[in-house]
Amino acid sequence: MKTLSIIIQVLLGAALIYGTLDMPKWGDPHSPAASHVSPYYLQHSIEHTATPNVVTSVLADYRGYDTLGETTVIFTAGMACILLLKRRDKSQGKRHV
Amino acid sequence: MILPFNLILVLFVYICAIAAITIRDLLSAVVILGAYSFLMCLLWTEMAAIDVAFTEASVSAGIGTVLMIGAISKTKRRSKD
Amino acid sequence: MFDFIVDHYNYWTYIGLMIIGFYAMMTKRNLIKKIIGMNIFQSAIIFFFISSSVKKGVTVPILEHAHGHAAHGLEHVTHAVDAMQYANPLPHVLMLTAIVVMVATLGVALAVAIMIYRKYHTLEEDEIIMAIKRD
Repeated sequence: MKTLSIIIQVLLGAALIYGTLDMPKWGDPHSPAASHVSPYYLQHSIEHTATPNVVTSVLADYRGYDTLGETTVIFTAGMACILLLKRRDKSQGKRHV
Repeated sequence: MILPFNLILVLFVYICAIAAITIRDLLSAVVILGAYSFLMCLLWTEMAAIDVAFTEASVSAGIGTVLMIGAISKTKRRSKD
Repeated sequence: MFDFIVDHYNYWTYIGLMIIGFYAMMTKRNLIKKIIGMNIFQSAIIFFFISSSVKKGVTVPILEHAHGHAAHGLEHVTHAVDAMQYANPLPHVLMLTAIVVMVATLGVALAVAIMIYRKYHTLEEDEIIMAIKRD
């Protein structure tokens, strides 16, 4: 089992490293991730939202529905924790803490 | 991004990650995981992502470690592997 | 060759961290160890996204000399901002969400582990499987 696992890790690592050979350079200012929508956010953030911190203006203004979905996820996780850790004395008999 | 600083931090992150999965005492492993999170936080400050860095320092290194210590206090501390 | 390594070693760093976490998830039998491996795996993915936001020689994405402009009216505010001077803010926002979701996942996973411990009195996976087969 352990050798099979190590073989799988090595194959996965080799495939991923082969995939990185065509990735853009680290710190390239003209990489595709930095060239489409993020200059728009940087240039119009103060004009649209009057916030100097661009990260918070994108988080709460431009992509506010994303944050709403995140709070839904946290609420669901909290409900799941409460429902899992609740004591059920009658249905399951004896329970230890 | 500062190259020597980045290399030193990456080295420490690797040491913490390997130690966290090899130590048999689960409480020590969780505390080393907290140190791993703080080193990740330094790495992100060095990459100019300060919002992510302080969210990591408060949420992942703080609340995550507290949750795991609570879970270990309700279960066993020793691990077989 | 040296330039190629300097330009690409951050990708190899996150691949190594991801493999460490994945190895812990696959081979370790203790459930808490599996959860620690899952945490390392998720941190590696976040590391990849954050490192895609780096540009050489830039500062944090907080605009300079922007405080106080809003009080004087919006006509002073629309000065041109050089986007090449600041780091890319979009991966930071996405990963801010991902970190919080990561801790939510961690909480649910630990709750399930506590439930398993209450039922079988052990956290080792092979002992749990033996107990399930015995029933």
